[in-house]
Amino acid sequence: MKGMKEYNPISLTVYFLSVMFIVMFSMNTFIFLLSFLGALTSYIILKGAKEKGFMVLILLSFLTSSLINPIVSHNGVTVLFVVNDNPITLEAFLYGISAGVMITAVMIMFRIYTELMTSEKLLYLFGGLSPKLALILSMSLRYIPLFGRQIKKVIMAQKASGQYNTESFGDRIKSGVRVFSVMVTWALENGIITADSMTARGYGAMKRSRYKSFRFDTADIVLIILSIALACVTVYCLEATQTLYYPKVEIEINGLKAYTGLFSFGALAFLPVIAEVKEMIKWKYLKLKI
Amino acid sequence: MKAIKNEKLRKLLSVIIPFVMIPLLVTLGALIFEGSRYIIISSGIAVLTLVYFITGFERRQTGSRRMVITSVMTALCVAGRFIPFIKPVTAVTIISGMYLGKESGFFVGAISVLLSNFYFGQGPWTPFQMLGMGIIGLLSGVIDKPLKENGYILAVYGALTGLLYSLIMDIWTVLWYRGAFDLYLYGGAVLTALPHTISYAVGNVVFLWILGRPFGTKLERIKRKYGI
Repeated sequence: MKGMKEYNPISLTVYFLSVMFIVMFSMNTFIFLLSFLGALTSYIILKGAKEKGFMVLILLSFLTSSLINPIVSHNGVTVLFVVNDNPITLEAFLYGISAGVMITAVMIMFRIYTELMTSEKLLYLFGGLSPKLALILSMSLRYIPLFGRQIKKVIMAQKASGQYNTESFGDRIKSGVRVFSVMVTWALENGIITADSMTARGYGAMKRSRYKSFRFDTADIVLIILSIALACVTVYCLEATQTLYYPKVEIEINGLKAYTGLFSFGALAFLPVIAEVKEMIKWKYLKLKI
Repeated sequence: MKAIKNEKLRKLLSVIIPFVMIPLLVTLGALIFEGSRYIIISSGIAVLTLVYFITGFERRQTGSRRMVITSVMTALCVAGRFIPFIKPVTAVTIISGMYLGKESGFFVGAISVLLSNFYFGQGPWTPFQMLGMGIIGLLSGVIDKPLKENGYILAVYGALTGLLYSLIMDIWTVLWYRGAFDLYLYGGAVLTALPHTISYAVGNVVFLWILGRPFGTKLERIKRKYGI
């Protein structure tokens, strides 16, 4: 095992795909809870709880997804109260909470994945599939901040010459469109210069090479095998446990098989935590040695 | 060595995906999950279709100037969101498809969604949005003649693609939430997204109406001047 950031993009993708597959495959609240806890812990370890905006977003999407279900779905036998002849049921409410946990868990997991897959790693993944796609991707990635800066400059110039008007709604749209139009002309001419420069330096004469190479070592193989094996065990054992909400709440956990499945999924969900904590302990230990 | 391997793999993929993998996925999905987890099947199909399109384009030769113009258009889609009151992704994708061909249209649509989701939130919806926006670009490249000639057709096309895109993404939201399709939930999702959908479609029409022709003239000029 090594720190999550050091893994090869391929093994990282295999890991995230297997967790995501199980979360979407199962309709089991225990699985949702385990994946939510695992994802949240890994997120806090990897990033810290500093990003307030993301936390608010997560909370909001949890609230909307858990509240929309009792409003639109009237299945279930336990009626809590009646609004406009529509019964609001306990079962629909609980189902909404369960789905909300799943949705937030997947959102946090994608956040972690985006955090771990830097643009360099993304290009590595896509470059194997299609060099053309990788080139367009990397050039656009470079252009976005450049254009962002240029847009600011154009807006300032337009304001200074009295062209940028923000008095009425129509004026705002007109000014925005004018800035965009200026940007298009500038960007196209600029792009042609880049293309000529690329041709002059021999683009297309040879296969494209990468600046950074990613190692694929035993730890990566271990991660891939672990993710696939744990996912298979979970899928096999999952039939022994069920959480049903309609028409009545039924929670089933049948014996050892169910616990094995839940345990193996727990291990899968907490793999990043285990890897990171191990790295931290190793680091402390190495510092103590000095 | 690696390049040869890739090329063989690419050729193999372009045969295997439409004739083996997608039918297999649909049958397996229907047999194993008994149609209860559509979301996995549809995710798999979306990813496979994206790979299929990309491998198809990879075999064709493209000049470096066209490549650069494609990435410029992609970056304009994403960076254009920084201008207040402008959301140009669909409109610029349509214009790219019309004037630069279906291949560029597909790439501009798919990649600008991928990149702008880095700013607005990546999720399991990314492959669907990529595929949807890519197909809008591809389609604009296929029916470019009437779109270029008639401003009204272009405006209607912009409104329709905006509406359809939102409606299809709402289907996906329901699938994700419930695992199977549910008409009530779909109605709820469409209703909550309605202001967003309408502003989206109207924004497309306004943008295409004002900028469609000047944008096209600029691209045509660049194409004529530099021989792309």
